[in-house]
Amino acid sequence: MREPTRSEPANDRIPLLVLGLGNVLCTDDGAGVVALHRLRRAWAMAEGVVTVDGGTLGLALLPMVERAERVLMIDAVRGDGPPGTPVRITGDDVAPAVYERLSPHQIGVADLLGGAAMLGRYPSAVVIVGVVPASVDLGFERTPAVEASLPGLVTRVVAELTAMGFPPTPLVAGALQERNLDDAARALGF
Amino acid sequence: MTHIVVDPVTRIEGHLRIEAEVENGLVSSAWSSSTMFRGIEIILQGRDPRDAWAFTQRICGVCTTVHAIASIRAVEDAIGAVPPPNARVLRNLIMAAQCVQDHVVHFYHLHALDWVDVVSALSADPAATATLAQSISDWPESSPTYFAGIKARIKAFVDRGQLGPFGNAYWGHPAYKLPPEANLLAVAHYLAALEWQREFIKLHAVLGGKNPHLQSFLVGGMATPVDPSSQAALNIHTITMLRKLIEGARAFVSRVYIPDLLAIASFYKDWAGHGAGVGNYLVYGEYPMTEGANAPRYLPSGVIRNRDLSKLEPFDPGKITEQITHSWYKYAGGDDTALHPSVGETHPTYTGPKPPYDRLDTAAKYSWLKSPRYDGQPMEVGPLARMLVAYVSGHAQVKTLVDGALGKLGVGPEALFSTLGRVAARGLETQLLVDKIGDWVEELAGNMDKGDLRIHDTDRWDPSSWPKDAMGAGFHEAPRGALGHWVHIKDGKIAGYQCVVPSTWNAGPRDSRGQSGPYEAALLGTPVADPEQPLEILRTVHSFDPCMACGVHVVDAKGRELARVQVR
Repeated sequence: MREPTRSEPANDRIPLLVLGLGNVLCTDDGAGVVALHRLRRAWAMAEGVVTVDGGTLGLALLPMVERAERVLMIDAVRGDGPPGTPVRITGDDVAPAVYERLSPHQIGVADLLGGAAMLGRYPSAVVIVGVVPASVDLGFERTPAVEASLPGLVTRVVAELTAMGFPPTPLVAGALQERNLDDAARALGF
Repeated sequence: MTHIVVDPVTRIEGHLRIEAEVENGLVSSAWSSSTMFRGIEIILQGRDPRDAWAFTQRICGVCTTVHAIASIRAVEDAIGAVPPPNARVLRNLIMAAQCVQDHVVHFYHLHALDWVDVVSALSADPAATATLAQSISDWPESSPTYFAGIKARIKAFVDRGQLGPFGNAYWGHPAYKLPPEANLLAVAHYLAALEWQREFIKLHAVLGGKNPHLQSFLVGGMATPVDPSSQAALNIHTITMLRKLIEGARAFVSRVYIPDLLAIASFYKDWAGHGAGVGNYLVYGEYPMTEGANAPRYLPSGVIRNRDLSKLEPFDPGKITEQITHSWYKYAGGDDTALHPSVGETHPTYTGPKPPYDRLDTAAKYSWLKSPRYDGQPMEVGPLARMLVAYVSGHAQVKTLVDGALGKLGVGPEALFSTLGRVAARGLETQLLVDKIGDWVEELAGNMDKGDLRIHDTDRWDPSSWPKDAMGAGFHEAPRGALGHWVHIKDGKIAGYQCVVPSTWNAGPRDSRGQSGPYEAALLGTPVADPEQPLEILRTVHSFDPCMACGVHVVDAKGRELARVQVR
């Protein structure tokens, strides 16, 4: 089998789960997934951090979320401000946000968090970081404003990881961390 | 006359909007519209066909494996690659596991709440619930203490106002018929199914790698090495793990899902008289038992017309066409023509109203879905179609399961042509698959024993081995029904691609002759007790397992909004 894309602690708990969310076929909706793959390529995660390209999956992510102590979601988030504007959502604002502010393509995230709550395994902290999309129409590329905001988004994710006590380490510039790139992502060219 | 709009706000794959007219408490006309454009076909132009599955896998968040399978099959058909037995068996395992998991999640987490009143469960007596549970199944978790615990958990959610998935529904609606104890039983198993499904889907992690998007697909076979003695391959330990997961699935389906299904259905037998639909059923067939394009399938292909269970027609892929008379597309040869998907066109031309709007002009174009037709006729696809075609073809296990369920409910085969029939067929198919899937694990184990470790047909990997110009079709029975991908490969690149997905067959709009699609036809005559709470419409639409749920807003005949409710 393939090499795992993460280092798991022995007790099967995931201290920090980083989820890239969104549909990469729908322009800016895929911003979170693209940011996740760029994060993996440029940064080595600290021990205890698991990064997952969650796409638009819903309940299929439950086996990971229910084991996670903290969840950091990267996503396109509707909000005030022009396309590319940074958005950060935490605490009590998360539940309404996943129903109303994430894109139509991933209402599964609401099912996912609802399911974890129903089973009494809602993570102790959930944070969403993202950018305001310009378009979620069909298209494989991000719009210019959102594309330009992606380096800043990755930087903010790094800052969140650091603030949570899991600072990542920069990889040598340009060195692809091949083992962290899955086949599909390679084909999709993120 | 009351005009009802069931408008999908947001859902997993796309947006579904149902408009219905209600006269004297019954639906007299219905229109089904998808309000989201999907054009994967356009994105794939010019790409390497061997990568197409990685793109199509992202079409939908609940159907990742199914678009990958259809895509690799289409490309294999075009270039002449033949996957070896181990690849066929692994694909069968992955497809069947997807179907089982999807059906259980649909029943408990997407559809049950149309039949089960969560609020009523709060007034159930845990001891009486235990008695009920023990009367229908020997499942061990059935004590009064267990049900009291579930009741307390639900009450805590309700008291905190944190209904989550239970938040948007029509609790207390007169169409709910279950006694409180049956409601509590179903809610308990809603939670049990949530636990079980996340355990079972580990089967995909075992076969497809740890990433939640399966990584093990490959044109010509699979990417997962098979070797009984290697740590880095599917090995003896994998076989042991698969056996255990399948044993758990059989236990859950036979002792929880099926007893619950029959118990709930017994209170809703009137729904065997609603939701019949177009009465034509199409199945491409699935789970090849040997190699090659004409291999026999465990679930056979075929066509049934006009609810005639005495006749089964062979499936002819050449008879599939798509029309766009009522769809927001243009065809170069005219909008009333019908095109086979191998020469299909995707030219979006939106002519609908600017959102937000109250009514669609259903006399004109009104959906982003095309109208797929078979030999010019609308066809229902999905578990009911599969069970009917297998039943008519004399499939012994399907006959036993179907006749058994009909006998327990005391209804005849005509009851299958209904909303209830659709719900029952999904459960029976789940039982069929959990009974069968273990055979494929043993086949894999047997191949390992014989030393047959082949997993990939490498002869056709290099594009120089391909024809300059090739067409291919990939057929798959996804959980929701017949799925087809068509690919045109020219000089090693994709020159044309078309997907005809199950929800297009079922939810598509009227065609050039004015024939309704399956959703539209199934809603005719549906009783609606309260137009502001069109629960009955949702029951029939959800019985097809659309890849989307909806928000509802209800307008009166003048288009004035009466209420707005989000439902699942």
